[in-house]
Amino acid sequence: MIQLEHLTYTYPGAATPALKDVSLALPEGQLILLIGPSGAGKSTLLRCLNGLTPHFSGGAISGAVRVNGQDPVAATPRLLSQHVGFVFQDPEAQFVTDRVEDEIAFALENAAMTPAAMRVRVEETLDLLDLTPLRDRALKQLSGGERQRVAIAAALALRPSILVLDEPTSQLDPKSAEDVLNALVRLNHDLGLTVILAEHRLERVLPYVDSIIYLPDNGDPVLFDEARAVMSQVELAPPLVRVGKMLGWQPLPLTIKEGLRFSRRWLAEQRSHPDASLRRRRRFVRTGAPYIQARQVKVHYGGQPVLRGVDLDVWPGEIVVLMGRNGAGKTTLLRSLVGLVRPQAGEIRIDGKPNRGRDVADICRQVGYLPQDPNTLLFAESVGEELAVTLRNHGVESGDWRLEIERASDGASGRGEDNPHSSIAQSLHSPIPSLLRRLGLIDKANTYPRDLSVGERQRVALAAITVTQPGALLLDEPTRGLDYAAKRALEQLLHGWRDDGMAILVVTHDVELAAAIADRVILMSQGEIIAEGEPTEVMATSPLFAPQIAKLFPETGWLTADDVLGAS
Amino acid sequence: MDGALTTPLVETRLPVRAPLHPLTWTAWIAAIVAILTLTRNPVYLALTLATIVLVRWRCLAPVHAEDGGLTLSPLRFGLLVMTTAAIFNMAMVRVGTTVIFTLPGWIPLLGGAWTLEALVYGALNGLALAGLFAGFTVINRVVPVRALLRLTPRAFYPVAVVVSIAITFAPTTLQQIQQIREAQAVRGHRLRGVRSWLPLVVPLLEGGMERSLQLAEAMVARGFASGDEKVERWPQLLVLTGFVAVVAGWLLRLLWAQPVWGAALLIVGSAALLSGLWRAGRRHPHTVYRPDQWRWWDWLVIGGAALAACAYLLPLFERSAIFYYPYPTLIWPGFDWRIGLATLGLAAPAWT
Repeated sequence: MIQLEHLTYTYPGAATPALKDVSLALPEGQLILLIGPSGAGKSTLLRCLNGLTPHFSGGAISGAVRVNGQDPVAATPRLLSQHVGFVFQDPEAQFVTDRVEDEIAFALENAAMTPAAMRVRVEETLDLLDLTPLRDRALKQLSGGERQRVAIAAALALRPSILVLDEPTSQLDPKSAEDVLNALVRLNHDLGLTVILAEHRLERVLPYVDSIIYLPDNGDPVLFDEARAVMSQVELAPPLVRVGKMLGWQPLPLTIKEGLRFSRRWLAEQRSHPDASLRRRRRFVRTGAPYIQARQVKVHYGGQPVLRGVDLDVWPGEIVVLMGRNGAGKTTLLRSLVGLVRPQAGEIRIDGKPNRGRDVADICRQVGYLPQDPNTLLFAESVGEELAVTLRNHGVESGDWRLEIERASDGASGRGEDNPHSSIAQSLHSPIPSLLRRLGLIDKANTYPRDLSVGERQRVALAAITVTQPGALLLDEPTRGLDYAAKRALEQLLHGWRDDGMAILVVTHDVELAAAIADRVILMSQGEIIAEGEPTEVMATSPLFAPQIAKLFPETGWLTADDVLGAS
Repeated sequence: MDGALTTPLVETRLPVRAPLHPLTWTAWIAAIVAILTLTRNPVYLALTLATIVLVRWRCLAPVHAEDGGLTLSPLRFGLLVMTTAAIFNMAMVRVGTTVIFTLPGWIPLLGGAWTLEALVYGALNGLALAGLFAGFTVINRVVPVRALLRLTPRAFYPVAVVVSIAITFAPTTLQQIQQIREAQAVRGHRLRGVRSWLPLVVPLLEGGMERSLQLAEAMVARGFASGDEKVERWPQLLVLTGFVAVVAGWLLRLLWAQPVWGAALLIVGSAALLSGLWRAGRRHPHTVYRPDQWRWWDWLVIGGAALAACAYLLPLFERSAIFYYPYPTLIWPGFDWRIGLATLGLAAPAWT
């Protein structure tokens, strides 16, 4: 039983509270989902439950918290660790030891359990999460999903009655994420464990949850109710729920099975109207030569083939989405295109120029490449400076962007003033302000990049690699950790660039993103391209890569909620 | 990662448990260090090296594909160290009567007579170094870091955990550096001069900070000692006075020739130190999963190591041969068969 009463918490040095007047009573034994826009304080709320906030972070807390009758503010996190198990976002960052068994035993050692009892407990915990075959493996040899299951086991070793997870699947591919979620559902069903889970990709978890906490970021009251009731009240929604709401389906479907009951009938009605033809997706028309050309590219690491003769063309003005299991060679393909990996055989041409003999920096003037972790890119003291550095790296004049931004905002407030420097500024036209405006970052030009939200930071990284106006853009897993709003912004951005004639190649596990942006989809497996074609052909029929809408309206060729709503 | 930084996955399972107690291995390596620093007698050196090679051969599984190019064959390393040390010593030292050749005196440093004695002594130093290296590579492979850390007194338990984390932290940091370097290369960054390191250092430090904070949170969330408990003062005082007494006793014996008083202070000081540590350790209650077990052959190995060390350290046998010195004229090294036999005690781990 968890009870929060008028909980308000402010981080040290922060002007506004991260949590404001939160009151909740969470029942035992449920699988509870915590949602909300990024920056609403989801992580902070979760950390209040085991006393990490305020014991670890400091800051000012008021109101009351009760977890199983304990007060996390008064008691130590050590005591709370007996009641609340905690799993973090990144499986790697939470490991203390290097072996599965030792990792599980760590909490037990701290609790001074006798070695005999510890043996039994470790054994039970291994069974609970199906980790027995992995028991003496090194942690670094496990896959992402296996690692996250070890992290869950380690958190459960002390047999807490509550398990709290902070976006546990955001770093995982769909299959691994499913494994982790299945494990959670089983723990909840079999042991009656209370599970509280923060998650962005609602389409993955909605079928399993009992109730939802909605934490808004604009000061509205916190919602807590049965899952269906909350979903009908909030903006954030996976495609299925969005369609269900727009078409007025009642009760609101949360699973494909529930949705199919409505969609079949609705589709039949639509078809019976003779004049209403179903909407078709736009088709991409190729013009000219491909911007990126790869022929028979072969890469192997230490004798193991990673790419076995890949052919790839990307034309200007199209978005190609590359999908496939972890280890299929997708990232390696991207990295060979920009020269970070040198293929052992084959040829790669960018805009007709062969890659051979050019260094990475040179290739990247023509091809922007966004790595998985945008944080590795950012180091300058302001957003604008970040872009200027890239220009300087390439020996391009960055112009006086600070002055231009200032003048633009002055001009907006009071026009008509004659500026004696206007002619000089005109000649030094900088690409920075216009790009920042396009990415919606113009107000943040002087902000320290690492103070921004995940979505904004990613856009800064994007700006930093596209400021040289490359003809192609490669993105590796761009939707990690993004909420729906940030994802929508990214989709619009990519569409805009595509329409300007950029060749865009995206590697992603995010089926819904692929459905929304792809002009062409390529599936890879074991270093080879196994399928290629229009998204409707490739994705709609694949069991693993079909988006929700394709499952809901089979044989229509629709992939996104917009396809459906445009049709009605 | 998705194939980004993949190294071929070799099915290497970590040893479930070192067959010998880590403490035993510590005693073994301590004896080796003592012997190799003491003697320059080529026969004893060779004998010691031979026992290490024997233990290495018997106790280590053959390595198929070690991860990365960080491994160095001890044989190659040994040869390299020996040649380097021999040449360096010969080039620098002008003592010895057996002249191999003479360089003209106007060449700074190198000019003068190059002697066989200097060559031999340098090679012997190299041999001792190679032996140390081989010994530690064995330890590195048979005893997991965690097991070694368990040997640290309980009072230092938090320190030990921090060290073990630092050890696992290092490889991730290397990986991080690689990622950052690539991310910067992608935006046209080239490494020239000191200023160009800034784009690499800032993300590395920030990322490292974030990761450490996350790890610290994860540890606290799993009940790692949070230090909220009442702190006792007197164990710390005991440790401090014990330490001072030990140092004072040692100085008394060494400098002022007061063996009795010195010994007394040494004993009292050690007792105070140990009881202080024990007392402080009780403040951090924790237990150990699968504690290492002490078996009869641990006594065997300890005995062998002690025997070998004693033969060299204690004035039992003819000791002049231990301190072999080739200058001024090369002579055949002496050999006491009893010391030679005792050295073989180091080979005990090979039969467990």
